[in-house]
Amino acid sequence: MAGACHAIMGENGAGKSTLGKIVAGIHRPDEGSLMVEGVLRRFNSPLDAQRAGIAIVHQELSFCPNLSVAENLCLSHLPRRAGRLDWRQLHERARFYLDQVGANCDVREELGGLSTGQTQMVQIAAALATRARIFVLDEPTSSLSAGETKRLEELISRLRQNGATILYVSHRMDEIFRLCDVVTVMRDGQQVATLPLAQTNEAELVKLMIGRSWQKMFPEHIDRPLGPERLRVEKFSSPGKFHDVNFSIHSGEVLGVAGLVGSGRSEVALGIFGLDRRVSGRIFVDGNEARPRSPRAAMKLGLGLVSEDRKGQGLVLGMECGENITLSSLDRLSRGGVIRRGGERGVIVRFFEKLRVKAASPHVPAQTLSGGNQQKLVLAKWLARESRVLILDEPTRGVDVGAKGEIHRLIGELAAAGHAILMISSELPEVLNLSTRVIVMRQGQLVATLDRCEATAERVLKWMAGCGGETTSGAGQPAGHALG
Amino acid sequence: MTIEPGPEVPIKPVIGFRRPRFKETGLMGVLVALGLFLSIFGGSLPVTNRDTGEVVKVNKFFRADNLDKLAKNTSFFAIMAVGATFVIITGGIDLSVGAVYCLAAVCGAMFLNRFGPHGAGSGAPAFLVVPGAILVCLGVGGLCGFINGLGVVGLRVHSFVITLGTMAIYRGIAFVMTKAQAFTDFPPQFTDGFVRREINWHGASLYPVPLAIMIGVTGFAWWYLKHSVTGRHIFAVGGNEQASLFSGLPVNWVKVKVYTFSGLAAGIAAMIMLGYYGSASSDAGKGYELDVIAAAVVGGASLAGGRGTALGALLGALIIQVINNGIIILNIDQNYSQIIIGAVIVLAVLLDRINNSLRERRMTRAARPGKVS
Repeated sequence: MAGACHAIMGENGAGKSTLGKIVAGIHRPDEGSLMVEGVLRRFNSPLDAQRAGIAIVHQELSFCPNLSVAENLCLSHLPRRAGRLDWRQLHERARFYLDQVGANCDVREELGGLSTGQTQMVQIAAALATRARIFVLDEPTSSLSAGETKRLEELISRLRQNGATILYVSHRMDEIFRLCDVVTVMRDGQQVATLPLAQTNEAELVKLMIGRSWQKMFPEHIDRPLGPERLRVEKFSSPGKFHDVNFSIHSGEVLGVAGLVGSGRSEVALGIFGLDRRVSGRIFVDGNEARPRSPRAAMKLGLGLVSEDRKGQGLVLGMECGENITLSSLDRLSRGGVIRRGGERGVIVRFFEKLRVKAASPHVPAQTLSGGNQQKLVLAKWLARESRVLILDEPTRGVDVGAKGEIHRLIGELAAAGHAILMISSELPEVLNLSTRVIVMRQGQLVATLDRCEATAERVLKWMAGCGGETTSGAGQPAGHALG
Repeated sequence: MTIEPGPEVPIKPVIGFRRPRFKETGLMGVLVALGLFLSIFGGSLPVTNRDTGEVVKVNKFFRADNLDKLAKNTSFFAIMAVGATFVIITGGIDLSVGAVYCLAAVCGAMFLNRFGPHGAGSGAPAFLVVPGAILVCLGVGGLCGFINGLGVVGLRVHSFVITLGTMAIYRGIAFVMTKAQAFTDFPPQFTDGFVRREINWHGASLYPVPLAIMIGVTGFAWWYLKHSVTGRHIFAVGGNEQASLFSGLPVNWVKVKVYTFSGLAAGIAAMIMLGYYGSASSDAGKGYELDVIAAAVVGGASLAGGRGTALGALLGALIIQVINNGIIILNIDQNYSQIIIGAVIVLAVLLDRINNSLRERRMTRAARPGKVS
């Protein structure tokens, strides 16, 4: 529909962004058809989609940050005069596009120097420059200030008046109700429902997003009594990332951290692990105050971090699987700086068997393994080091279903064996099933600490989206129950 | 009817501790092929035997003194290439090796000149002078390398830039120190008595010390990379620096170590040069950095980091020297040598990449879960 604004909602990983990218020609669909203005289309590249009048605005920029705003805006058809770049016309044209979206920034400035909000405005301006009629906005407000959000909303309504169609991917209930007419809810890559927003409410949408498909499991570590406190952070802050975070983890506990992408969850993990020089506040490990200034120092305190970026931060992909496992514990497997081959081999064999790593041999490079087995190697690296506090950031991201179950079982076993585990995850069922307690982060703040019995999907999701307070202080029970 | 429980199937991950195959086979092959080619087509020349006076025809390439000269020429480059390989494995580059070599040589030369036959400290006992000279060369080299390492780590500037700067600085210091004059007149205990010690073998005079030092350094480096904790760390840092940091490795310290080792290697090379030629000036080692990097790269070190071997560096240096030698033996115009060497470098890297992508494909196929039982 021309002039319509269609919202797409769903949890992290529900397939919203993928859908948006298929529409914009970035990914190719495996099957199914796409109709644009009544014509069946098949896009092989973003350029095809652009020709059909579709533009996408997302966080990962497809621009050149080292060029000026004007150059970026006119990159596909730079004005030329006598074989040289016509700077005056370039700037004029860029200014014209920017005025259309109401962005106030200097066209001569480097794109890399702009704020996220401004960059997004430039992206929309660039989309206008390609004469797009269909805009895919992928979580446009997730990193915008309130003022910028307001300006974006004005722009969206202006675009709609001019007959543009908008596909609006977002988590934020309030925006969706304000801006859009129709919503499609997605879950696990499937379309769950499409309904007019006038006929629904927040509670129903939350319910649709979560679904009723999963049941709560009870891994063995849940019933065990907790051991001594292993890790505690107090007034933990880092400017611009997170503020005043307090929590503690005991031996045998899995503390789940829920929150949207960008809520500061991973940043807290990095801060604890000595990778953020600007953190303030106090960290206690086994009751003693400590401030690891490097991952090495954190490791020596008995911490281990399985980061969300397995390939970039977790593994040396070109090295052998076995070497990756012993990477952090070589000083314990050596004498006088010389690696004890036998000792190393023993550790590798032990963890290959314990974690059931599927690889042709411990000598094959780590890059030849599947995502799940690679993740096992990262875990094994910290287990080999005998780290007692494990920080797991998205432990099952990009892992197939079978390996996911194994990793879940392993997390339970580790907790039962006395490890203290901080588990950051975007997958709500994972958090709710494995955690003994759940903390929820939103916009850099810890907004809720919930015991296992309190932590229902509805409640956690509401805290994540920022309307949790009303539920607990108001009706006293999650609104989802009233409808269910 | 009861269902018999099947036999318990033990979980048996395939743990074959089969060592990966010898990485330098290709280089060895190239070297042997070159050697055979030069032995067959190089021709022979008449040589008069010193003792008997009879004239015999000797193969131009495959004769003791040619091979000995080859080994000596290779030894400087090979030792420095082994050091450069350490740096290259971590993903860095050391452009200052030539300048470090020069500075270490000049410092060593001034020291030796002082204790030489006509110097102020002439007549000093050999057991002080020889270790002293070694210490000066190695110390200066190591110190220069250490400073490179501190610069790379402390200033967080790419090693290319840091060592480009120190390359000029070290050579400048050498200039200032020598006032552009050459130093000779070394105590014979250091030259003829140590580095240039001569042995006679079937009428040919050979100088085995440079060769022995080269083999010693390469052997140590090979062992160090393979068996020491730092060696493993060097590969990890080069393979993925961020993951190494996240795994709690002392990344900065590892980097300082490799640059120090590279400087130390240049110091060892300088020491051999001093002993062999008996003189040094601030022109020594000009342009060596590129020859050294070429040798490391031909030897299979990847400039992207994470890959390289000490033996490869040695073989790389040897191949380049054999080609140089072959150009002389085959009476090819000297001016062509640069063109040929340049082509060989590109070709070697190309072959290495093809070989690697083939191996990777084989590995990926072997690692498919379907094949694991």
